[in-house]
Amino acid sequence: MKAALFSIVPYLGQAERGTWPVPARTYSSEVAGRSMDMALEQYELADQLGFDWVTLAEHHFAPLSLTPNPMVMAGAVTQRVRRAKIALLGATIPILNPVRVAEEFAMLDTLTGGRVVAGMLRGTANEYVTYDVNPAESRARFEEAMALIIRAWTEPQPFGWQGRHFRFRTVAIWPRPVQEPHPPIYMSGSSPEAGEFAARHRVSVGFAFTTLPLAAAAARHYRERAAACGWEPAPDDVLYRVTAHVADSDEQALEELRTAGADVPRRGFSASNRPLDDAAAGAGYYGRDTATQRGRIDAQGRPMADRIENGQLLAGSPDTVLAQARRIRDELDAGILEVVFSPMGRERTLHAIELFGTSVLPRLHEL
Amino acid sequence: MVMPAMGTPTWQEGHVQADGFRIRYVHAGDGPPLVHLHGGGGLTLTPAHDLLARERRVIAFEMPGFGDSPENTRHRSMTDLARTMLGGVSGLDIDGFDLMGTSFGGKTALCAALTAPERVRALVLESPAAIRPEGHERRPQPATPQELVAMLHAHPERVPPRPPSSIEQRAKVAPMVRRLMAPARDAELEAAMPGLQVPVLVVFGTADRLIPPEIGRVYTQLLPSCQLLYVYDAGHAVAADRPEAFAEAVGDFLDRHEGYVVSQRSSVLFP
Repeated sequence: MKAALFSIVPYLGQAERGTWPVPARTYSSEVAGRSMDMALEQYELADQLGFDWVTLAEHHFAPLSLTPNPMVMAGAVTQRVRRAKIALLGATIPILNPVRVAEEFAMLDTLTGGRVVAGMLRGTANEYVTYDVNPAESRARFEEAMALIIRAWTEPQPFGWQGRHFRFRTVAIWPRPVQEPHPPIYMSGSSPEAGEFAARHRVSVGFAFTTLPLAAAAARHYRERAAACGWEPAPDDVLYRVTAHVADSDEQALEELRTAGADVPRRGFSASNRPLDDAAAGAGYYGRDTATQRGRIDAQGRPMADRIENGQLLAGSPDTVLAQARRIRDELDAGILEVVFSPMGRERTLHAIELFGTSVLPRLHEL
Repeated sequence: MVMPAMGTPTWQEGHVQADGFRIRYVHAGDGPPLVHLHGGGGLTLTPAHDLLARERRVIAFEMPGFGDSPENTRHRSMTDLARTMLGGVSGLDIDGFDLMGTSFGGKTALCAALTAPERVRALVLESPAAIRPEGHERRPQPATPQELVAMLHAHPERVPPRPPSSIEQRAKVAPMVRRLMAPARDAELEAAMPGLQVPVLVVFGTADRLIPPEIGRVYTQLLPSCQLLYVYDAGHAVAADRPEAFAEAVGDFLDRHEGYVVSQRSSVLFP
């Protein structure tokens, strides 16, 4: 099993919680700079420890994440991470200009000599508000944008695109991606529609903002549909994202998590703005399985013990965390465990990453 | 009755009694009622009123003391005036309604919403004067119609000249406007705002020369549910300067309240 280190690049200072968008009243550019430095430090350490990937994501208008354009941060990461793949999970392609996304991924692939993983996501419902895109058209824009990005990467001659949602009279991107035919693509596989689309297009899937039982059901659906389409996803085609904290003992890990406030239920993004989320849900954003899809986002606010039980949080000694990771491997047949280390101050987080890298990762690689 | 041109509703005039005042109003359209309270210059209809009246019953009052009504020396506070206007709405047999106030009328509307929050479904404040910078009262008053237009509009050259009577009108109501508007920061009003459980949209033009549009952020800090909208390249008279832009946002907000942040516009180019 491979491991990815994910940082959402959280703002490390005081800010309002439980709301979206978040006002900038308490913003400090010094704290924001330090927050970005700390994320870069974690990525660099992960690279040195042998993590297979480092991962960035796109989220807007909240201190929960300081990478509204992960491509910019990834540009910095290319100068610090020399071995691991750099994954963007993702670009939220329905709200972006697909030609620009194709160009940015190609730039990163060139800067890294072909180590980019191109995540393409729909994002949470609030992202649609940031660039004024109708969430009712999210899936259609997603599907067309992905087709256009792949075409832009692979078509050697200038071409025009007469889509449903996008129109370009001529496209001919420079630079081109290094990887042939193009960088690996990951998308969210959490909704049934997404699993079916990924199966049809032979795209890898990731599960985040979910629980292990929900992800296991969604992964089964994806594999069944892939089989129906005549192919079998490999373990590396399935990624699972989980929060983790590793310490020398179970008791110490749990105590440090409690001290860091991890036991306090939290909500962010759409889940913290009900009128917005209701409007998006009313527009059909969550698809045919709305209750489950909204429920899995709400589940992020559950208490610590529940989140450990549901495979949302790995916590304990290296042995305990390895056992918890094995459970994910077994229930999902996931080949990539993407770990976000629970934020608890620079030293403790770095220690947890180091402990994971030295005491869990070698055995995880054997799984 | 003359049939209106497509999309241009016919405005009809009426009067209603409230608190001993005979209050003039104009109304047009059908649908959920939207009550409008005008600014310090008195009742002026803009194309935005026509646009809003396509989907709602718009009632624009002329508040006591304005227009041809007798001088209003009775109201001692904005809340007094707001109570009278709530009485005027009741006199039209309207219980729950959307409320929009412009500049001076923005403060009236805010006071009305605080007085009867159960009746106001949503509140729109256009360039509201409820909160003003210190020293705002000491600014020079326009002495000519040209100066008045230059003060209110982003592009005075695009606005038809106002009659000389517009200056006389303002002079006539000036003592009442000063009395009801003061002070620049109304501590009692601001203390009440955090308790207002009504969705509010505050609209400022980016080229407002009368009230700095950035003062809109104070409303978002004080009100529990408040959206701030800047209309680009509009002056203090937002609805007159950019009527289509103004009416689209206001109509959408009145339909969907906080949910209006979620776009419903289709990006489909071709089926």
